[in-house]
Amino acid sequence: MLETVLLFREALYGALVIAIACSVLGVYVVLRRIVFVGAAIAQLSSAGIALALFLGGLGVSGLTAHPTAFAVVFALAGAMFFGLGGGQRAGVPPDATIGVAYAVAAATAILLLAKAAGGEAHDILLQGNILGITRADTLVLLAVSLPVLLVHVLFYKEFLFVSFDRETARTLGYRVVFWNLFLYFTLGLVIAFAMQFAGVMLVFNFLVIPAVTGLLLARSMSGIFTVAVLSATVAAVIGFSISVPFDLPSGPAIIAVSGVLALLAWPMRVLQRR
Amino acid sequence: MTALISFDHATLGYGRRVVLSDISFDIPTGDFLGLVGPNGAGKTTILRAILGTLVPQAGTVTKASGLRFGYVPQRDSVDYNFPLKVVDVVLMGRYDRIGLMRRPSRRDRDLACAALEHVGILDLADRPLGALSGGQKQRALIARALVGDPNVLVLDEPTTGMDLVSTTQILGLVRELHERDNLTVLMVSHALNEVANYVERIALVVERGFRIGTVAQIMTEETLTQMYGIPVDVDEMHGHRIVVARRPPLEPGARRHA
Repeated sequence: MLETVLLFREALYGALVIAIACSVLGVYVVLRRIVFVGAAIAQLSSAGIALALFLGGLGVSGLTAHPTAFAVVFALAGAMFFGLGGGQRAGVPPDATIGVAYAVAAATAILLLAKAAGGEAHDILLQGNILGITRADTLVLLAVSLPVLLVHVLFYKEFLFVSFDRETARTLGYRVVFWNLFLYFTLGLVIAFAMQFAGVMLVFNFLVIPAVTGLLLARSMSGIFTVAVLSATVAAVIGFSISVPFDLPSGPAIIAVSGVLALLAWPMRVLQRR
Repeated sequence: MTALISFDHATLGYGRRVVLSDISFDIPTGDFLGLVGPNGAGKTTILRAILGTLVPQAGTVTKASGLRFGYVPQRDSVDYNFPLKVVDVVLMGRYDRIGLMRRPSRRDRDLACAALEHVGILDLADRPLGALSGGQKQRALIARALVGDPNVLVLDEPTTGMDLVSTTQILGLVRELHERDNLTVLMVSHALNEVANYVERIALVVERGFRIGTVAQIMTEETLTQMYGIPVDVDEMHGHRIVVARRPPLEPGARRHA
């Protein structure tokens, strides 16, 4: 079994990079109650890839050879839109806007792919293809994730303050809109790159479930980050190790393990409170 | 006394909508001012102009150079879901002084503890903020406002949703901070009866109306009846002024429900 897993170790390394980067950002996603923003950005990113494939099918040259560029542009545009309030000024509730973006992006991706590539492309966008991650892919993921994580270490105070109490941050001279957009920018960037390998479902999992596990087990911000990263890493390793020898899809296997970890954390939280 | 903040014929609003027009007043050093009025009348608009987050449509709002606010937001604007210790929340009041890409120092932590001691909850420093009672949370937020060493303490609806005991304790603490530290205080509230017995001056904001004066000048039946547009009585009990809106008489023939 170990030999089989080691055969795909490059893919495992890539999955771990995605797990760590998404779980760190996921702490803000969960605490700020914007979990479906993560899903909508991932879906927008997949629509970007679908558009690239569609244009490629039409024989349009140039950028269509780089679906990543489309994924990044779509994800960042979505992140900026949601970061600026997502239609609140027009009187539409934020969660409704997120729902609209998610549904329209998902449908658009399916429609474009139906005319662009084989039917399996849609499954890859939804479920990802973790096993297909190569060393070069992992290096690309690292090149995006490491600077983002460094930014989050350096500007932890600022991201925390504008997330926790934006009014007071504003009175102390913080440019709340800027910091908010910066946070969403990092979120969009990581999602756009992670989505191409992990798919919408697994990225959404890493953004939400590890942070929820952290919230259940930890009593401090550093504790939440630590538990979130650890549980995402453990879920990635165990889920991956189960899926390969038993010929199961890796993404759902990792999600299942994440879910089990969160379920195990639940009674521990109840016991903590007694 | 030196004016820390001056409104000079200021017109305030959002976009094309005017909320308050042509208002002029000063907030001098050492003032204890209550900004009072019903919800939606424009208190927050004035507050934003004072804090500098709203630019007047006309006229000017000027502030003394180096003026620093200690802001205590409405309690529900803070997200208690964040697992933050009380001392960590208080430290946020020094974040701008600590600067970008730097962590709070030992001295910052000492100052945060001193602020908590000042408001009487040092023993709660390591407790999660979300686990505190309403009054304790408000004390923690006041400590955060104080730790930055402000010239003006600004409290936005500090007693909303609090019981009688907590309300009395929080307002007592604010008055104590004003008297003991000679701190300039601006307190925003919709509860005239609560504020009137603690502050020295009242700025009364009603829809399209604004009046400022000492408590004795504002808390008269004539002024309040004119400003609120309904008949009110102002009585005094044990040295406290109490405002009561007169109940409209029953229509002839109307049934009195048990």
